[in-house]
Amino acid sequence: MRWEILCLLAAFAAAAAGQELQSSPYHGDPVSIGVGKATFRLRCSACHGIHADGGQGPALNRGEFAAGDTDLAIYQVIANGVPGTEMPAFGGRSTEENIWRVVAFLRSFAPGDDEPLQGDAERGAAVFWDQAGCGGCHRVGQRGGMFGPALTRIGRSRSVAYLRDALLEPGKDLPPDYFVVSVETADGRTIRGIGLGYDDFSAQLVDSTGRIHSYHRGEVESMEREFATLMPDTYGDSLTTEQQEDLLAYMQSLRGEVGAP
Amino acid sequence: MKLRFVIGILLVSALLAQAQVSGDNLLRSQQDDESWLMYGRNYSAWRHSPLKEIDTGNVHGIVPVWIFQSGVLGKLQTTPLVRDGVMYVTGPSNHAWALDLKTGRELWHYSEPVPDDLAYCCGQPNRGVAILDNRLYKVNMQATLVALDTRTGEVIWEVESADYRKGYSNTVAPLIVGDKVVTGIAGAEFGTRDFIDAYDAKTGERVWRFWTVPGPGEPGNETWGGDSWKRGGASTWITGSYDPELNLIYWGTGNPGPDLDGAPRPGDNLYSDSMVALDADTGELRWYFQFTPHDVHDWDSVADPVLIDMEVDGQDRKALVQANRNGHFYALDRQSGEFLFARAYTEVNWADGIGPDGRPILIPGREPTDEGTLTCPGMGGGHNWHATTYSPQTGLYYFNSGDGCQIYHGATQEYVEGEYYLGSAMENVTGEPREGSIIAVDPSTGDRRWRFPLVSPPSSGLLSTGGGLLFAGTPEGYFMALDAASGKPLWHLQTGGPVRAPAISYRFAGRQYVASAAGTSIFVFALPK
Repeated sequence: MRWEILCLLAAFAAAAAGQELQSSPYHGDPVSIGVGKATFRLRCSACHGIHADGGQGPALNRGEFAAGDTDLAIYQVIANGVPGTEMPAFGGRSTEENIWRVVAFLRSFAPGDDEPLQGDAERGAAVFWDQAGCGGCHRVGQRGGMFGPALTRIGRSRSVAYLRDALLEPGKDLPPDYFVVSVETADGRTIRGIGLGYDDFSAQLVDSTGRIHSYHRGEVESMEREFATLMPDTYGDSLTTEQQEDLLAYMQSLRGEVGAP
Repeated sequence: MKLRFVIGILLVSALLAQAQVSGDNLLRSQQDDESWLMYGRNYSAWRHSPLKEIDTGNVHGIVPVWIFQSGVLGKLQTTPLVRDGVMYVTGPSNHAWALDLKTGRELWHYSEPVPDDLAYCCGQPNRGVAILDNRLYKVNMQATLVALDTRTGEVIWEVESADYRKGYSNTVAPLIVGDKVVTGIAGAEFGTRDFIDAYDAKTGERVWRFWTVPGPGEPGNETWGGDSWKRGGASTWITGSYDPELNLIYWGTGNPGPDLDGAPRPGDNLYSDSMVALDADTGELRWYFQFTPHDVHDWDSVADPVLIDMEVDGQDRKALVQANRNGHFYALDRQSGEFLFARAYTEVNWADGIGPDGRPILIPGREPTDEGTLTCPGMGGGHNWHATTYSPQTGLYYFNSGDGCQIYHGATQEYVEGEYYLGSAMENVTGEPREGSIIAVDPSTGDRRWRFPLVSPPSSGLLSTGGGLLFAGTPEGYFMALDAASGKPLWHLQTGGPVRAPAISYRFAGRQYVASAAGTSIFVFALPK
């Protein structure tokens, strides 16, 4: 125990002298891993899941990390964020020591096999753009519809398991700030679309044609917000298992490259 | 040029030189329509302005008179003080300003850097200053208390309440009682042991300290297993109230630490989640009432202790009421601490009511677990900290509530100095967002008179006025006026930023004004001339 403390002190002394740490000095230290777990749950679990098993962010309990599997790479992702994704930088909000504790916590999981991809991305592109018509609502790069969330970088930010759920049970999880607004107007029309704003006095929404609507509560018959999705839940029936796997492979291939198919 | 400069200085000095506030002024603050002299307006924390020029019939016509843009990002939670033509406001991250009440122009600006290594849980807000004589009293994030000259903003003295490197910070608006400055402290999310302090207003010397977690040999220490009292929390981050006749200070305390893991701290964990009544001269404990013994849901009990003389069950009572974060509205006898009654005001699934002894009747299985436990209310309450108001005109007590449940995950965590000591975290229920409400109750029974629903958990405090109005704000940026008798919305304005503070009202040059922080700015409204 004393030897471990000495190692910790030596590691931080080296860091203080200007030698950047390459790996977490807290590996195997249960106290530090416990603090790292607590920090993870506080700061990270909203996206990566309370058990680090993924959600809106990738799963982090499989011993594999998109930005690199070294301690330093994980540290840098936490400290600096990942530009172009929803991963923010925590460097200004947490001490270096505590980020290293989170790294030690994440490395405490036994490496496991990520879900293997069985489909073919090229065939999946055809499913996406032609057979299933996903591009009518979703866009990839500059191509596709504006109604659903953009999927240009979806392969970098969502696990295969998450995407499978999103395809077959689209309401199981919702993107942050995603909701549906339904308005019954004074002249009896019903306008339904994705909410852009919803408060105690007004609502703003975009319909499937891309038109933006704005209403005061006082000028309509009713105004409701639903935490639901407008994506059909029929793809489990309308697509074959092979098509589903191909589609997942295609979505996993979407990493943000300009001009993606 | 020089002459104009000198004249300018003299004019500003003359304006600010008037800002003399005596102890008697504070005792009579409720009768002073032209000032707002303390956090809760009066020592009973009513936050009620008797002014009635703006009323239910004309409030729809109020317009902005001036807007002060602070330029400081962060949570603007200040209760402005007003005295002799000057408004004193604080901002996040150790800022304060004196503003010309006529124009909103800045007269002086105080700021103090926040240390880079300061740990804090919930932003860097500040809830306002206290005033006595020609001095303002303000806490800073690094757990210091400063006395500022009302005329210049210059520091007269500065004291450290606690070592911020151990997890302490401070955000509370101080309370002047006699010749003392009473303050709380924050830090319970970092395993601190917290307190309520009183300082000599002239010198800054600490006069007394009441530890909200008793030490060895003190009554209550036996309610903490082992040495868990050392990290027991019980922060005091919202301003208390004061009864001059009883000479008692009332102050609510926060959660025990670690927040969600009760295993390291077996027992009731006194005086966490409690109301304490302290002798104003000595800081000695006269009575306490614990709302949530052995809390594992982070239900701080810091909310306004509001003092109302009223009849309860046919008996005249000097009462203290609080809308507690655990989902219940409480009434206590403020002379003795006797529990009078409690009523749930939002969805509650952890207790089957409050027993005649004031203890919750627990429903088993609501404690946080590693896998998660759905419990209502969620972590923020219920009614959290936001300022409340009692209107003697309507006889109603008003507070807001966050409504809905959360999933509480608990896990054992060792203590590391200066780091979070929460014992795990909460998550929202997918597809079931937490919402909110503004609630009016009869304080003598807890009966709800009306409820104004909010689409989000509330962010602002409340103000009631003699014009029959209730002013409130929303996290979506609306500042609004409701009919205090019915809850009907009468006026609103989109300010462009979250309203996180309670409004105030005052008369200046014969005209009633209403002021509120929103976004990073102070908005001031009045009827058109």
